[in-house]
Amino acid sequence: MTRRAPFTAVFGGVLIALLVGCSAVSQTPSVPPKHPEELPAGRVDCLECHKDVSTGALKPYATVRHSRVFIDSHGTYARQGQNLCASCHVPSFCQTCHARKDEIKPNVKMGDRPDRMAPHRGDYIATHRIDGRIDPGSCFRCHGNKNDAICRRCHK
Amino acid sequence: MGRPATVAAFGKRLLPPIVSISLLLSLLPVGAARAADVSVSSRTYLQYYERELAGGTKNRLAPLSEYLSGDAVNLGGSPIAFHFYGWGRVDLSDPTGSGKESGDLGSAYLEYLHPQGNAQVKLGRFFLTEGAAMETLDGGFVKVTTPLGIGISGYGGSPVEQSILDNTDTGGSLYGGRVFFNRSGLTEIGVSYLKEKGPFQGKDRELYGGDLWLRIAPPVEITAQATYNQATKGMASQRYALRIIPGSRFDFSAGYEAYSYRDLFQTALHPIFVTPSAAIDNTDKVRTIFGVLDWEVVSGLTFELAGKNIRHDRANPGTANRGEAGVRYTFNDKKDVFGLSAAVVTADRDENEYQEYRGFVTFSPSKFRLTLDALTQQYKQAIDGRKNAHQIVASAGYKVLAYLSFSGDLTYTQSPTFQKDYAGLFRASLDLGTSTGGQK
Repeated sequence: MTRRAPFTAVFGGVLIALLVGCSAVSQTPSVPPKHPEELPAGRVDCLECHKDVSTGALKPYATVRHSRVFIDSHGTYARQGQNLCASCHVPSFCQTCHARKDEIKPNVKMGDRPDRMAPHRGDYIATHRIDGRIDPGSCFRCHGNKNDAICRRCHK
Repeated sequence: MGRPATVAAFGKRLLPPIVSISLLLSLLPVGAARAADVSVSSRTYLQYYERELAGGTKNRLAPLSEYLSGDAVNLGGSPIAFHFYGWGRVDLSDPTGSGKESGDLGSAYLEYLHPQGNAQVKLGRFFLTEGAAMETLDGGFVKVTTPLGIGISGYGGSPVEQSILDNTDTGGSLYGGRVFFNRSGLTEIGVSYLKEKGPFQGKDRELYGGDLWLRIAPPVEITAQATYNQATKGMASQRYALRIIPGSRFDFSAGYEAYSYRDLFQTALHPIFVTPSAAIDNTDKVRTIFGVLDWEVVSGLTFELAGKNIRHDRANPGTANRGEAGVRYTFNDKKDVFGLSAAVVTADRDENEYQEYRGFVTFSPSKFRLTLDALTQQYKQAIDGRKNAHQIVASAGYKVLAYLSFSGDLTYTQSPTFQKDYAGLFRASLDLGTSTGGQK
């Protein structure tokens, strides 16, 4: 079997399931592809306009309010589906930080937005030695198999 | 040894036809309706800084970088969209990297989104988070949710990865999927599978994942996320959290997370994580207890507290504790924020202890935007002969038009790496769009 065969088999199977399942797609209005109203500047609080849970497969608005708690654990929610994020964020928003081989740190790109959470502020070349020792798993998520260009200068 | 030709080429071959189809669809007239809602965002950065080389010579660096993203939705009046994101850099002075030019295509894909949002197809290069997967992929993705709340998703293609080492393979093909059940406002539970053919310590990357969101009562939620590494036959990572959200102003979460070096890092392409070249002991395991609080005491004034206890099986690095406290005050119709924070890391070993203090403020009178951000760190044990680091970033900007603004940053750093470093950055931001509504 060629290396492409498993991909073709799985992807083909899912496509067939999709075709069969199209008639069974839920018609309950779920998350819209784009927020219908303009969003104000700064950190937006959904609860200013929305109450509790919307219809469809949505979580409560309080769950996705962008508090420090949510921002710290946003990956857990994103792994259950990106549609909700994409309703208010353009798809490239994630790639401000989650890149393959970006050369500019997120906090440098957003030097005019110190209010936003951004990793690696300051001279992180020094501090990463400590953070890397005490919690290397936090480095691995983004630098384990991508986004390593800057690591190359020392780790060869 | 090269990367497998078939799958990689398949992924790359997808991109030109996808771009062509998207452009064609956007030109199709559909009655009087616009053929597509298009938005384009450009960020141009010109940096300037100097770096001293061995021998005392100085390099003057002036990289000019362009980050461009575009989104065309409702292509030809249908629920199809095209998304694009990429960047490029050219050095106006000495080379900043291995060459004077660089760039990357972050994403370029066609997307079908069911009118009610319950089915989705992506084709091209895209960033994906689904169950055990957090990947950039050249390939396809499909997801369907049925009226019963049961859903399925699947993806496959060529992973867009990067190895730190030249001439080292990255993954050849990647596929997987997720089966899930959700009930609005109550729960979402999923199991997932991912397999990547590749050079991962002589094995493929093969993961089983589980994820859970459960609302026990309106203010109380539980989340769980776990990954089992089939290649090493061990739990790679686990994270469980209890979250209490009694209103719009109070948010508290506490939980437990754990990972095993051997089982998590087996899939690394970066040698720092991998035995035998690893600088870390790959038999180590980490168990962390954490808590985070976000409390808006009065409108605009928010307190943040966070704590972590990180325990290693191995005495080196041993145990570390990180405590953080911060306050944020939002003003000027939420356009501006003033913030102060302090973090203290204590540890079994002196080399792992440090303190960090930060203050920032933004001020946006009329079309101007001024910001100041100051950070200082104190290390218990000197790093490269120095026990502290300081950085100040000052930024000033002006919004020329509703869709065009310019700003400049000046950064001063004193640290173990930089004796005295000044860096400048000029930023041009352009946001154009034909559609209504909000995305940011």
